[in-house]
Amino acid sequence: MVVGATDPTVSLVIGSGSVKCAAALGVVKVLNEAGIGIERVVGCSAGALFASAIALGYDTAAAKDITLRVWTRELTSRPNRLSYLRVVAPKLLGFKADNFGLRDERAMAASLRSVFGDRRIEDTAIPLHITATDFATGELVDITHGRIVDAIRASLALPFAFAPVQFDGRLMTDGYLSDPLPVSVAMKHGGRVIVGVGFESPYQEKVNSAGRFAFQLGAIMANNLLKSKLAFHSMAHHSEVILVLPEFQQRVRLFETAKVPYVIEEGEQAMLLQLPYLRELLAAEKRQAAAFPA
Amino acid sequence: MEIEITERDAVTVVAIKGSVDSLNADELTSAFAKPIKAGRVRMVADFSAVTYTSSAGLRSLLATVKDCRRGGGDLRIAALQPQVERVLSISGFTGIIKIFPDREGAVGSFKAVA
Repeated sequence: MVVGATDPTVSLVIGSGSVKCAAALGVVKVLNEAGIGIERVVGCSAGALFASAIALGYDTAAAKDITLRVWTRELTSRPNRLSYLRVVAPKLLGFKADNFGLRDERAMAASLRSVFGDRRIEDTAIPLHITATDFATGELVDITHGRIVDAIRASLALPFAFAPVQFDGRLMTDGYLSDPLPVSVAMKHGGRVIVGVGFESPYQEKVNSAGRFAFQLGAIMANNLLKSKLAFHSMAHHSEVILVLPEFQQRVRLFETAKVPYVIEEGEQAMLLQLPYLRELLAAEKRQAAAFPA
Repeated sequence: MEIEITERDAVTVVAIKGSVDSLNADELTSAFAKPIKAGRVRMVADFSAVTYTSSAGLRSLLATVKDCRRGGGDLRIAALQPQVERVLSISGFTGIIKIFPDREGAVGSFKAVA
């Protein structure tokens, strides 16, 4: 699926957005067909799953299959009863940051292992970055080595649902808490033209449970964080961030994998809208590079 | 990108057509800078024919807003297309720049405080 080290290239950043992140597969399809390579791929939260598939070179069909296998309701269907009890009796049952998640994460871990096995970030065909958030400091962590499964679990450690994950001596939680669309990672590594595939968190239609209440608060904070971070990074970057913001007329729920083909199609359409300008920009970058060789 | 500048009393209207991006952001910044240098710091950017803006376009707008406000004026934007408004919104710009549904409203907003 991925062209790899060809000229011209872009850095691809896939933000958090649950199953909607599958839109990145449509984006990559358009880039491939246009002969535009990917020099680096960054993924956050569910975006990390797709970033990993892209970095490993899976084609669209294989990546779609992975989505259908991994992103199922079973991921969160089994409660972690001990965590519920730890809320009620924290001293008695030993409440700790690294054991508090209201959902049993074993299904997700098994599912990710079935797809990625022991493959490592440093071995991917395209440089891969998975972002998570340091639970102790709130810092964005740019994970560039280690097992892909462990990094995705850290990046996808949705607060309250899944416990933070120990990785490389640090306790990490969901990447969206530090930056829902981490274009800064691509900038820091010298990316000039950055394609950012971003999603705003949906607001709840009804807030009729504590869980939905928490999701609503999370969405408010995440969307405000997305805007403020993106504003700063747009101003700080010397070149170009091309935002790909798929528009979903149909509501896509958290585990609605039946809509994956629709989501991919919307990603493709959103990228096609940006393609004429991206081609012009890359041609101009090439001319500039020829005029001022390093 | 095409730029047309007209004067409406104390307000300079910059009507832009096409895409505002890395390939032409310098041209747009220069177009904004000329009236500002002449002391005309009340400006309206008519975006009714702008089909696209990127981060480079946003940087041009921000630099102009800062220059106008530093001089006691403002840059206000009129008639955003939905796809452009989405980029401005998700980048936090609608929180710091005054947006109006049409050119007349944007120009009139300066009179309201004059």
